[in-house]
Amino acid sequence: MRIPPRESDLVESMRRREFIRHAVAGTVVTAFGGLYYLAGDELTRQARAQTLPDGRPRLPPGQRVIEALEPMGGDPGDPRPSVFRLRVHGEVERPMELDFATLLTHPQVEQHADVHCVTGWSVLGATWTGIQVAHLAKLAGIRAGVKHVVFEAAHGYTANVPIDEALAPDVLVAHKLEGRALTRPHGPPARALVPSLYFWKSAKWLTGIRFTLRDEPGYWEIRGYHNHADPWLEQRYA
Amino acid sequence: MPVGDTTRKPARPRRVVLRAWLRALHRDAGYLAVGLTFVYAFSGLAVNHIADWDPNFVQVESTRVVDTPLPEQDDAAALAVLEALGYDETPLDVYRIADDRLDVTLERITLHVDPRTGEVFEEGEHPRVFLRMANWLHLNRGKKAWTWVADGYAVLLLFLASSGVFMLGGRKGLLGRGAVLVGLGVAIPIVYVVLSGGP
Repeated sequence: MRIPPRESDLVESMRRREFIRHAVAGTVVTAFGGLYYLAGDELTRQARAQTLPDGRPRLPPGQRVIEALEPMGGDPGDPRPSVFRLRVHGEVERPMELDFATLLTHPQVEQHADVHCVTGWSVLGATWTGIQVAHLAKLAGIRAGVKHVVFEAAHGYTANVPIDEALAPDVLVAHKLEGRALTRPHGPPARALVPSLYFWKSAKWLTGIRFTLRDEPGYWEIRGYHNHADPWLEQRYA
Repeated sequence: MPVGDTTRKPARPRRVVLRAWLRALHRDAGYLAVGLTFVYAFSGLAVNHIADWDPNFVQVESTRVVDTPLPEQDDAAALAVLEALGYDETPLDVYRIADDRLDVTLERITLHVDPRTGEVFEEGEHPRVFLRMANWLHLNRGKKAWTWVADGYAVLLLFLASSGVFMLGGRKGLLGRGAVLVGLGVAIPIVYVVLSGGP
Protein backbone atom coordinates (compact mmCIF):
# COMPACT_ATOMS: atom_id res chain seq x y z
CA MET A 1 0.00 0.00 0.00
CA ARG A 2 1.33 3.38 -0.90
CA ILE A 3 1.93 5.51 2.14
CA PRO A 4 0.51 9.03 1.58
CA PRO A 5 2.94 11.91 2.19
CA ARG A 6 2.67 13.68 5.50
CA GLU A 7 0.54 16.77 5.54
CA SER A 8 3.48 18.97 6.43
CA ASP A 9 5.41 17.67 3.40
CA LEU A 10 2.46 18.48 1.16
CA VAL A 11 2.13 21.98 2.53
CA GLU A 12 5.87 22.47 2.14
CA SER A 13 5.70 21.30 -1.45
CA MET A 14 2.79 23.62 -2.25
CA ARG A 15 4.60 26.54 -0.71
CA ARG A 16 7.70 25.73 -2.77
CA ARG A 17 5.65 25.57 -5.98
CA GLU A 18 3.97 28.84 -5.19
CA PHE A 19 7.29 30.48 -4.51
CA ILE A 20 8.75 29.19 -7.77
CA ARG A 21 5.66 30.39 -9.65
CA HIS A 22 5.99 33.86 -8.20
CA ALA A 23 9.73 33.97 -8.78
CA VAL A 24 9.32 33.02 -12.43
CA ALA A 25 6.55 35.57 -12.91
CA GLY A 26 8.63 38.26 -11.25
CA THR A 27 11.64 37.40 -13.37
CA VAL A 28 9.62 37.57 -16.57
CA VAL A 29 8.13 40.93 -15.61
CA THR A 30 11.55 42.27 -14.69
CA ALA A 31 12.97 40.95 -17.93
CA PHE A 32 10.28 42.76 -19.91
CA GLY A 33 11.08 45.94 -18.03
CA GLY A 34 14.73 45.48 -18.75
CA LEU A 35 14.04 44.85 -22.42
CA TYR A 36 11.85 47.95 -22.55
CA TYR A 37 14.65 50.01 -21.03
CA LEU A 38 17.24 48.59 -23.38
CA ALA A 39 15.01 49.12 -26.43
CA GLY A 40 14.35 52.76 -25.45
CA ASP A 41 18.04 53.35 -25.10
CA GLU A 42 18.75 52.51 -28.76
CA LEU A 43 18.28 56.21 -29.65
CA THR A 44 20.88 57.13 -27.06
CA ARG A 45 23.32 54.51 -28.35
CA GLN A 46 22.95 55.75 -31.90
CA ALA A 47 23.46 59.37 -30.84
CA ARG A 48 26.59 58.50 -28.87
CA ALA A 49 28.14 57.15 -32.05
CA GLN A 50 27.75 60.49 -33.84
CA THR A 51 29.98 63.56 -33.76
CA LEU A 52 29.32 67.20 -34.53
CA PRO A 53 31.22 69.00 -37.31
CA ASP A 54 33.50 70.54 -34.69
CA GLY A 55 34.46 67.11 -33.40
CA ARG A 56 32.45 67.16 -30.18
CA PRO A 57 30.22 64.16 -29.56
CA ARG A 58 26.69 64.85 -30.70
CA LEU A 59 25.32 63.72 -27.35
CA PRO A 60 26.90 65.52 -24.39
CA PRO A 61 28.00 63.38 -21.45
CA GLY A 62 25.28 62.25 -19.06
CA GLN A 63 22.43 62.76 -21.53
CA ARG A 64 19.88 60.32 -22.91
CA VAL A 65 17.82 60.85 -26.03
CA ILE A 66 14.05 61.21 -25.94
CA GLU A 67 11.72 61.84 -28.82
CA ALA A 68 9.83 64.96 -27.73
CA LEU A 69 10.43 67.90 -25.44
CA GLU A 70 9.34 67.49 -21.84
CA PRO A 71 7.23 70.39 -20.51
CA MET A 72 9.56 71.15 -17.54
CA GLY A 73 7.12 73.49 -15.79
CA GLY A 74 7.61 77.17 -15.14
CA ASP A 75 5.01 79.85 -14.37
CA PRO A 76 3.04 80.17 -17.62
CA GLY A 77 3.15 83.52 -19.32
CA ASP A 78 0.48 85.07 -21.50
CA PRO A 79 0.16 82.96 -24.66
CA ARG A 80 -1.84 85.53 -26.63
CA PRO A 81 -0.06 86.75 -29.75
CA SER A 82 -1.99 90.03 -29.70
CA VAL A 83 -0.43 91.14 -26.39
CA PHE A 84 3.05 89.79 -27.14
CA ARG A 85 5.77 92.41 -26.97
CA LEU A 86 9.48 91.73 -27.27
CA ARG A 87 11.73 94.48 -25.94
CA VAL A 88 15.20 94.62 -27.38
CA HIS A 89 16.96 97.01 -25.06
CA GLY A 90 19.81 97.70 -22.68
CA GLU A 91 23.17 98.82 -24.02
CA VAL A 92 21.93 99.41 -27.57
CA GLU A 93 21.73 102.49 -29.81
CA ARG A 94 18.19 101.82 -31.02
CA PRO A 95 16.05 100.04 -28.45
CA MET A 96 12.87 98.64 -29.92
CA GLU A 97 9.69 96.84 -29.01
CA LEU A 98 8.27 94.33 -31.45
CA ASP A 99 4.78 92.97 -31.49
CA PHE A 100 4.14 89.49 -32.87
CA ALA A 101 3.13 90.60 -36.33
CA THR A 102 6.24 92.75 -36.65
CA LEU A 103 8.43 89.92 -35.42
CA LEU A 104 7.11 87.74 -38.23
CA THR A 105 8.06 90.33 -40.85
CA HIS A 106 11.74 89.87 -40.07
CA PRO A 107 13.81 87.24 -41.91
CA GLN A 108 12.76 83.81 -40.67
CA VAL A 109 15.15 80.95 -40.13
CA GLU A 110 14.16 77.31 -40.04
CA GLN A 111 16.80 75.05 -38.54
CA HIS A 112 17.32 71.66 -37.00
CA ALA A 113 18.76 71.90 -33.52
CA ASP A 114 19.60 69.58 -30.68
CA VAL A 115 18.57 70.67 -27.20
CA HIS A 116 19.88 69.32 -23.92
CA CYS A 117 18.13 69.61 -20.59
CA VAL A 118 20.09 69.74 -17.35
CA THR A 119 17.91 66.92 -15.99
CA GLY A 120 19.54 64.57 -18.51
CA TRP A 121 17.31 64.36 -21.56
CA SER A 122 18.11 65.54 -25.05
CA VAL A 123 15.94 65.93 -28.12
CA LEU A 124 17.90 65.78 -31.34
CA GLY A 125 17.18 67.36 -34.67
CA ALA A 126 13.93 69.15 -33.85
CA THR A 127 12.89 71.78 -36.39
CA TRP A 128 12.74 75.28 -35.00
CA THR A 129 11.55 78.43 -36.76
CA GLY A 130 12.32 81.94 -35.63
CA ILE A 131 14.39 85.07 -35.93
CA GLN A 132 18.09 85.12 -35.22
CA VAL A 133 19.02 87.09 -32.12
CA ALA A 134 22.05 88.30 -34.06
CA HIS A 135 19.71 89.93 -36.58
CA LEU A 136 17.84 91.76 -33.82
CA ALA A 137 21.14 92.78 -32.22
CA LYS A 138 22.31 94.26 -35.51
CA LEU A 139 19.08 96.23 -35.88
CA ALA A 140 19.32 97.51 -32.33
CA GLY A 141 23.01 98.41 -32.66
CA ILE A 142 24.75 97.02 -29.61
CA ARG A 143 27.25 99.33 -27.98
CA ALA A 144 30.94 98.62 -27.52
CA GLY A 145 31.72 96.78 -24.32
CA VAL A 146 28.58 94.68 -24.23
CA LYS A 147 29.54 91.32 -22.77
CA HIS A 148 26.27 89.57 -21.99
CA VAL A 149 22.69 89.09 -23.02
CA VAL A 150 19.88 88.57 -20.56
CA PHE A 151 16.81 86.79 -21.90
CA GLU A 152 13.84 88.15 -20.00
CA ALA A 153 10.64 86.17 -19.68
CA ALA A 154 7.29 86.08 -17.93
CA HIS A 155 7.08 86.53 -14.16
CA GLY A 156 10.62 87.86 -13.91
CA TYR A 157 12.41 84.78 -15.20
CA THR A 158 15.81 85.55 -16.68
CA ALA A 159 18.65 83.60 -18.26
CA ASN A 160 22.08 85.09 -18.93
CA VAL A 161 24.24 84.15 -21.91
CA PRO A 162 27.68 85.46 -22.96
CA ILE A 163 27.37 87.78 -25.96
CA ASP A 164 29.42 85.60 -28.33
CA GLU A 165 27.20 82.62 -27.69
CA ALA A 166 24.01 84.68 -27.83
CA LEU A 167 24.94 85.97 -31.29
CA ALA A 168 25.65 82.51 -32.69
CA PRO A 169 23.65 81.85 -35.87
CA ASP A 170 21.61 79.09 -34.24
CA VAL A 171 20.33 81.26 -31.40
CA LEU A 172 16.76 82.26 -32.19
CA VAL A 173 13.65 83.93 -30.96
CA ALA A 174 11.66 80.81 -31.84
CA HIS A 175 7.91 80.75 -32.43
CA LYS A 176 7.47 77.39 -34.13
CA LEU A 177 8.49 73.86 -33.33
CA GLU A 178 8.16 71.13 -35.95
CA GLY A 179 6.29 73.55 -38.18
CA ARG A 180 3.59 74.24 -35.59
CA ALA A 181 3.08 77.12 -33.20
CA LEU A 182 4.67 76.59 -29.82
CA THR A 183 2.20 74.75 -27.62
CA ARG A 184 1.27 75.98 -24.14
CA PRO A 185 3.93 74.10 -22.15
CA HIS A 186 6.72 75.38 -24.39
CA GLY A 187 6.39 79.10 -23.90
CA PRO A 188 4.23 80.61 -26.65
CA PRO A 189 4.05 82.89 -28.51
CA ALA A 190 7.86 82.96 -28.58
CA ARG A 191 10.80 81.67 -26.61
CA ALA A 192 14.54 81.88 -26.78
CA LEU A 193 16.48 79.01 -28.29
CA VAL A 194 20.13 78.60 -27.26
CA PRO A 195 21.09 75.10 -28.43
CA SER A 196 24.69 75.23 -27.23
CA LEU A 197 23.74 75.61 -23.57
CA TYR A 198 21.50 73.67 -21.22
CA PHE A 199 17.87 74.19 -22.09
CA TRP A 200 17.01 76.38 -19.09
CA LYS A 201 18.86 79.17 -20.91
CA SER A 202 16.23 78.98 -23.68
CA ALA A 203 13.74 81.12 -21.78
CA LYS A 204 10.07 80.37 -22.42
CA TRP A 205 7.41 83.10 -22.71
CA LEU A 206 10.08 85.53 -23.87
CA THR A 207 9.42 89.20 -23.19
CA GLY A 208 12.80 90.86 -23.68
CA ILE A 209 16.38 90.65 -24.82
CA ARG A 210 18.64 92.94 -22.81
CA PHE A 211 22.25 93.63 -23.70
CA THR A 212 24.47 94.31 -20.70
CA LEU A 213 28.00 95.37 -19.89
CA ARG A 214 28.17 93.08 -16.86
CA ASP A 215 27.02 89.54 -16.26
CA GLU A 216 23.74 89.20 -14.40
CA PRO A 217 23.15 85.63 -13.22
CA GLY A 218 19.60 84.59 -13.98
CA TYR A 219 16.81 82.73 -12.21
CA TRP A 220 18.39 79.27 -12.01
CA GLU A 221 21.93 80.59 -11.82
CA ILE A 222 21.26 82.20 -8.46
CA ARG A 223 19.61 79.02 -7.27
CA GLY A 224 22.65 76.80 -7.55
CA TYR A 225 22.84 76.07 -11.26
CA HIS A 226 25.94 76.76 -13.28
CA ASN A 227 26.33 80.28 -14.62
CA HIS A 228 27.55 79.16 -18.03
CA ALA A 229 25.77 75.79 -18.53
CA ASP A 230 27.86 74.10 -21.23
CA PRO A 231 26.45 70.57 -21.67
CA TRP A 232 29.70 69.23 -23.10
CA LEU A 233 31.53 70.27 -19.95
CA GLU A 234 28.59 69.04 -17.83
CA GLN A 235 28.27 72.47 -16.25
CA ARG A 236 25.02 71.63 -14.48
CA TYR A 237 25.54 73.02 -10.99
CA ALA A 238 27.48 75.87 -9.42
CA MET B 1 2.38 67.68 62.26
CA PRO B 2 2.35 66.55 65.92
CA VAL B 3 5.73 66.01 67.53
CA GLY B 4 6.77 62.39 67.37
CA ASP B 5 4.38 61.53 64.54
CA THR B 6 6.44 59.73 61.92
CA THR B 7 3.65 58.33 59.71
CA ARG B 8 3.67 61.15 57.17
CA LYS B 9 6.88 61.88 55.37
CA PRO B 10 7.66 65.32 53.92
CA ALA B 11 6.62 65.58 50.23
CA ARG B 12 9.49 65.01 47.80
CA PRO B 13 9.96 67.38 44.92
CA ARG B 14 8.12 66.07 41.86
CA ARG B 15 10.45 64.54 39.21
CA VAL B 16 10.36 66.25 35.90
CA VAL B 17 9.85 63.40 33.49
CA LEU B 18 11.54 64.81 30.42
CA ARG B 19 10.87 61.86 28.18
CA ALA B 20 7.17 62.00 28.85
CA TRP B 21 7.14 65.69 27.96
CA LEU B 22 9.16 65.00 24.86
CA ARG B 23 6.77 62.30 23.72
CA ALA B 24 3.78 64.53 24.33
CA LEU B 25 5.31 67.41 22.41
CA HIS B 26 6.45 65.09 19.63
CA ARG B 27 2.93 63.72 19.38
CA ASP B 28 1.33 67.14 19.20
CA ALA B 29 3.92 68.47 16.76
CA GLY B 30 3.29 65.41 14.65
CA TYR B 31 -0.42 66.11 14.50
CA LEU B 32 0.32 69.70 13.52
CA ALA B 33 2.66 68.57 10.75
CA VAL B 34 0.30 66.09 9.09
CA GLY B 35 -1.35 68.48 6.63
CA LEU B 36 1.79 70.20 5.42
CA THR B 37 3.70 66.93 5.25
CA PHE B 38 1.15 65.58 2.80
CA VAL B 39 1.44 68.78 0.76
CA TYR B 40 5.23 68.86 0.71
CA ALA B 41 5.66 65.12 0.27
CA PHE B 42 3.26 64.79 -2.67
CA SER B 43 4.70 67.91 -4.26
CA GLY B 44 8.22 66.65 -3.68
CA LEU B 45 7.41 63.34 -5.33
CA ALA B 46 5.83 65.17 -8.24
CA VAL B 47 8.54 67.73 -8.94
CA ASN B 48 11.31 65.21 -8.32
CA HIS B 49 10.24 63.59 -11.56
CA ILE B 50 9.76 66.81 -13.50
CA ALA B 51 11.98 65.43 -16.25
CA ASP B 52 9.40 62.73 -16.89
CA TRP B 53 6.11 64.57 -16.58
CA ASP B 54 4.52 67.95 -15.98
CA PRO B 55 3.61 68.04 -12.29
CA ASN B 56 1.28 71.00 -12.72
CA PHE B 57 -0.63 70.40 -15.93
CA VAL B 58 -2.02 67.70 -18.17
CA GLN B 59 -1.27 68.47 -21.81
CA VAL B 60 -3.89 67.98 -24.50
CA GLU B 61 -3.36 68.00 -28.25
CA SER B 62 -5.62 67.01 -31.09
CA THR B 63 -6.36 67.90 -34.68
CA ARG B 64 -9.90 68.27 -35.97
CA VAL B 65 -11.48 69.58 -39.13
CA VAL B 66 -14.40 72.00 -39.31
CA ASP B 67 -16.55 72.76 -42.31
CA THR B 68 -15.41 75.41 -44.71
CA PRO B 69 -15.72 78.07 -45.92
CA LEU B 70 -15.42 79.95 -42.67
CA PRO B 71 -16.61 83.56 -42.38
CA GLU B 72 -14.15 86.07 -43.79
CA GLN B 73 -14.10 88.22 -40.69
CA ASP B 74 -11.74 86.79 -38.06
CA ASP B 75 -14.02 87.14 -35.04
CA ALA B 76 -16.88 85.52 -36.91
CA ALA B 77 -14.60 82.73 -38.11
CA ALA B 78 -13.44 82.13 -34.54
CA LEU B 79 -17.01 81.89 -33.29
CA ALA B 80 -17.90 79.50 -36.06
CA VAL B 81 -14.96 77.27 -35.16
CA LEU B 82 -15.80 77.35 -31.45
CA GLU B 83 -19.39 76.40 -32.17
CA ALA B 84 -18.37 73.61 -34.51
CA LEU B 85 -16.01 72.16 -31.92
CA GLY B 86 -18.46 72.49 -29.06
CA TYR B 87 -16.68 75.17 -27.05
CA ASP B 88 -18.89 77.39 -24.93
CA GLU B 89 -16.27 79.97 -24.10
CA THR B 90 -15.54 83.56 -25.06
CA PRO B 91 -12.09 83.69 -26.62
CA LEU B 92 -9.44 85.74 -24.86
CA ASP B 93 -7.82 86.53 -28.17
CA VAL B 94 -8.45 86.12 -31.89
CA TYR B 95 -5.33 86.82 -33.89
CA ARG B 96 -4.57 86.44 -37.57
CA ILE B 97 -0.99 85.23 -37.92
CA ALA B 98 -1.05 84.55 -41.65
CA ASP B 99 -3.47 83.60 -44.44
CA ASP B 100 -3.27 80.00 -43.29
CA ARG B 101 -3.32 80.61 -39.57
CA LEU B 102 -5.83 82.13 -37.22
CA ASP B 103 -5.12 81.69 -33.52
CA VAL B 104 -8.04 81.56 -31.12
CA THR B 105 -6.86 81.67 -27.52
CA LEU B 106 -9.12 80.35 -24.76
CA GLU B 107 -8.41 80.12 -21.05
CA ARG B 108 -6.63 76.75 -21.22
CA ILE B 109 -6.66 75.89 -24.92
CA THR B 110 -5.39 77.54 -28.09
CA LEU B 111 -6.96 76.69 -31.43
CA HIS B 112 -4.64 77.12 -34.38
CA VAL B 113 -7.02 77.30 -37.33
CA ASP B 114 -6.21 77.01 -41.01
CA PRO B 115 -9.20 78.93 -42.42
CA ARG B 116 -8.59 77.63 -45.93
CA THR B 117 -8.83 73.92 -45.07
CA GLY B 118 -10.75 74.01 -41.80
CA GLU B 119 -8.04 72.10 -40.01
CA VAL B 120 -7.82 73.02 -36.33
CA PHE B 121 -4.89 72.07 -34.13
CA GLU B 122 -6.12 72.22 -30.55
CA GLU B 123 -3.52 72.34 -27.84
CA GLY B 124 -3.48 73.31 -24.23
CA GLU B 125 -3.21 72.18 -20.68
CA HIS B 126 -5.48 71.52 -17.74
CA PRO B 127 -4.23 72.00 -14.21
CA ARG B 128 -3.72 69.10 -11.84
CA VAL B 129 -5.64 70.96 -9.15
CA PHE B 130 -4.26 69.51 -5.93
CA LEU B 131 -0.72 69.06 -7.19
CA ARG B 132 -0.56 72.52 -8.71
CA MET B 133 -1.61 74.01 -5.40
CA ALA B 134 0.82 71.81 -3.49
CA ASN B 135 3.68 72.69 -5.85
CA TRP B 136 2.84 76.37 -5.56
CA LEU B 137 3.12 76.13 -1.79
CA HIS B 138 6.14 73.83 -1.79
CA LEU B 139 8.14 75.96 -4.21
CA ASN B 140 6.94 79.09 -2.44
CA ARG B 141 5.87 80.84 -5.60
CA GLY B 142 3.64 83.15 -3.65
CA LYS B 143 6.41 84.32 -1.33
CA LYS B 144 5.23 86.88 1.23
CA ALA B 145 3.69 85.35 4.34
CA TRP B 146 4.14 81.77 3.15
CA THR B 147 7.89 82.14 3.62
CA TRP B 148 7.27 82.38 7.36
CA VAL B 149 4.89 79.42 7.33
CA ALA B 150 7.39 77.32 5.40
CA ASP B 151 10.18 78.29 7.80
CA GLY B 152 7.95 77.37 10.72
CA TYR B 153 7.21 73.98 9.17
CA ALA B 154 10.93 73.38 8.69
CA VAL B 155 11.51 74.16 12.37
CA LEU B 156 8.68 71.79 13.25
CA LEU B 157 10.31 69.00 11.26
CA LEU B 158 13.63 69.67 12.95
CA PHE B 159 11.90 69.38 16.30
CA LEU B 160 10.19 66.14 15.27
CA ALA B 161 13.49 64.66 14.16
CA SER B 162 15.38 65.80 17.26
CA SER B 163 12.69 64.81 19.76
CA GLY B 164 12.22 61.48 18.02
CA VAL B 165 15.85 60.63 18.62
CA PHE B 166 15.57 61.09 22.38
CA MET B 167 12.06 60.18 23.28
CA LEU B 168 12.64 56.48 23.82
CA GLY B 169 15.19 54.96 26.13
CA GLY B 170 16.80 51.58 26.41
CA ARG B 171 17.21 49.09 23.55
CA LYS B 172 14.68 50.83 21.34
CA GLY B 173 16.25 54.23 21.89
CA LEU B 174 19.47 55.93 20.91
CA LEU B 175 21.55 53.46 22.89
CA GLY B 176 20.13 50.56 20.91
CA ARG B 177 18.25 50.22 17.66
CA GLY B 178 17.89 53.97 17.36
CA ALA B 179 21.62 54.46 16.92
CA VAL B 180 21.70 52.02 14.03
CA LEU B 181 18.78 53.59 12.24
CA VAL B 182 19.97 57.17 12.81
CA GLY B 183 23.40 56.15 11.56
CA LEU B 184 21.88 54.58 8.47
CA GLY B 185 19.77 57.64 7.76
CA VAL B 186 22.78 59.92 8.04
CA ALA B 187 25.05 57.60 6.06
CA ILE B 188 22.79 57.38 3.01
CA PRO B 189 23.19 60.99 1.82
CA ILE B 190 26.87 61.06 2.75
CA VAL B 191 27.64 57.89 0.81
CA TYR B 192 25.65 59.18 -2.15
CA VAL B 193 27.53 62.47 -2.23
CA VAL B 194 30.87 60.70 -1.94
CA LEU B 195 30.13 58.07 -4.57
CA SER B 196 28.51 60.46 -7.04
CA GLY B 197 31.12 63.17 -6.63
CA GLY B 198 28.60 65.67 -5.30
CA PRO B 199 27.73 69.01 -6.89
